[in-house]
Amino acid sequence: MKILLVDDEELFRIAVAKQLAVRGHTVHEAGTGEEGLAMACDLSLDVVLLDMRLPGMNGTATLKEMKRVSPLTEIIMLTGHATVKAAMEAINMGAFDYMTKPMGINELIYKMEDAYTKKRLTKQQLKVTTTPVNNR
Amino acid sequence: MTMGTTIFGKKNNSPTNAAVNPRISDNLLKTRNYFNQLKFRLGIGVLACFIIPHALLSFYFHFQFTAALKKTGKLNMQALAKSQRNTVDLFLREREMNLRNLFYTRDFTPAPKEDKMLFYLQNLNHHSDAFVDVGFLNGQGIQTGYAGPFPNLLGKDYKHEAWFTTLVAQKKDYVITDIHLGFRNKPHFTIAVKQTVSESLCIMRATIDPDKFYMFLRSIGKGKEMETTLVNARGTYQLVDPLKANLLETSRYLPPKDMSAGIYEIHDENGTMLTAHAWLMETHWALVISQPLKIIHAQMYKTRNMMMVNLALITLFLALVIWITVSRLMNRAQKIAEQSHQLQTQLIHASKLASVGELATGVAHEINNPLAIITSTTGVVRDMLNPEFNLDSRPEAILGELDTIESAAFRASGITRQLLDFGRKNEPRKGLHDINEILENVVIGVKKHRFNLADIELVKNYAPQLPKIRIDADQISQVFLNLLNNAEDAISESGTITISTSREKDQVITMIQDTGDGMPPDQVKEIFTPFYTTKEAGKGTGLGLSISLGIINSMGGTIEVQSLPGRGSLFTISLPAGTPDFNDSNDNNNKGGEG
Repeated sequence: MKILLVDDEELFRIAVAKQLAVRGHTVHEAGTGEEGLAMACDLSLDVVLLDMRLPGMNGTATLKEMKRVSPLTEIIMLTGHATVKAAMEAINMGAFDYMTKPMGINELIYKMEDAYTKKRLTKQQLKVTTTPVNNR
Repeated sequence: MTMGTTIFGKKNNSPTNAAVNPRISDNLLKTRNYFNQLKFRLGIGVLACFIIPHALLSFYFHFQFTAALKKTGKLNMQALAKSQRNTVDLFLREREMNLRNLFYTRDFTPAPKEDKMLFYLQNLNHHSDAFVDVGFLNGQGIQTGYAGPFPNLLGKDYKHEAWFTTLVAQKKDYVITDIHLGFRNKPHFTIAVKQTVSESLCIMRATIDPDKFYMFLRSIGKGKEMETTLVNARGTYQLVDPLKANLLETSRYLPPKDMSAGIYEIHDENGTMLTAHAWLMETHWALVISQPLKIIHAQMYKTRNMMMVNLALITLFLALVIWITVSRLMNRAQKIAEQSHQLQTQLIHASKLASVGELATGVAHEINNPLAIITSTTGVVRDMLNPEFNLDSRPEAILGELDTIESAAFRASGITRQLLDFGRKNEPRKGLHDINEILENVVIGVKKHRFNLADIELVKNYAPQLPKIRIDADQISQVFLNLLNNAEDAISESGTITISTSREKDQVITMIQDTGDGMPPDQVKEIFTPFYTTKEAGKGTGLGLSISLGIINSMGGTIEVQSLPGRGSLFTISLPAGTPDFNDSNDNNNKGGEG
């Protein structure tokens, strides 16, 4: 999977990136929403782990923009405080799911795999629907 | 565009600082004492309002009534004297007419025989039993005819008697004598009528029994303990109660001769007597009636006593009604005041809970982040020790990861410590404090938890060398925290919050200004109302500013608000530089405890 981790906590980013990398995933890191958005435009990402609270452009705004520029990329919101309401709002805005910090690496990978599966299915479905009828 | 400016005055009567404060009971006791005093004063005041006019009116009408009754008593007495005088006059006139009529009997002769005289006596007694006898006198004063109980009077010569000479000399044809003893040596009155018959003078004489006359006088007199007497011009009793005095004695009271009638108050050993007199028309006698003043004024005294009892009863009744009403009213007011105390306590408590709730959200984020670093780095170490991943598992590499875990753990513990500090500040304590230090502590906390994520610039203009003021640092921190939170909430995207302190005369001024949304004047008026909030649902309780106002007022200060929609708001807190100690009892403890 090609993963982007957007979080202002550098140590957290490093630790999670290390764990994902040894499990064979490609991990990109961003410290702000703006930075993450720029990378989402350039890279063809599978899953984005996006923190809710970010300096400058916050998580919700970044999510909105990211879904606009890269609709197929699945986004999992990360939140330090267990306010389900904000996370639910994010899901309504197009996020795949949310996770509360701290979380275990396996739990995170399961969630990302689900997101990746959904992305693949969506992509396939898009291919089917965009194939012209007379070509079949 | 108008600017809303509101100053919220100092020392309102709202109860403050009740939460977690030993002064709660003091406040309640003060409230109860206040209401007890108010109850007493109000009761006395209302009672006085009812009783004083009632008493004044009662006394006024009593004196008016007394004066009228005394006047009426005198008038009645005088009228009675005149009325009895007229009756006595009529009695004497009738007796004189009875005697005169004897001259006009059918077979009257100038020399009546004995049987004729008996007939005349019967005739007179037929009209009145006061007649004792009857006599007939010729022009020389010799009694030639007589009928009655003193037969030796027949043939008596009366020409030297005073009444005879007067009658013969005077033009008036009758005479009524004063009481005298005469030939019979017994008190009696004489009535004599002269008539010229066949050119010779004839005189008919009759005597009146004083006892019978007195009985008549008694019969026309009325009134309790009333004395009626007849006195002549020299003051000699003509008729008197035999139990009080003897006939022919001289009365102690001589009525004035120049007044046909009059009334006087005479003081003697029996008390004050009201005495009225009226001079008779027929003779030179005065009818004198007298009655003790206490008998005449008995009704007046009775009325006065009744009025006093009535006043006492009304006073008692009113006092009872007023006491019950005032007690009920005051109990209710006291209950409301106590409920207000409790509500204030709950408000402060709720505000604290709200502050804790807001803090908890930030704290959860701040603690969960280092925890996430710890768990993730632990996962990294686990991966390093897992041969499957074939990672660098040298102790140096693992130590590097452990350092990360340790620093994250310390970071979490630092946040916990800050939280504990915040909690400790919530405990009430007071003393001399530097307002700049308090502000700085609050700003550090707020900045850490809130401002670091938003695009807000914080400008601090603290005046150096401000005097320390006697305040509750916890409560003033709560005020600053509320104002800073509001300022941050008012800034929707980016802006500046300016905190300044200064000294103006005897006031220490703190200003918190934001470049946020501002408020219209209508909103400015409402912001200190409990539960009034402009924040979206779930974000604010509407308690912060009302609590803040209560706290500042309790410290003898004011909060001034200036706001311009679209430009921002300025909150100015003025606190007295020499704030009086508002809790003396704790002062010494604080001095010792603060170090």
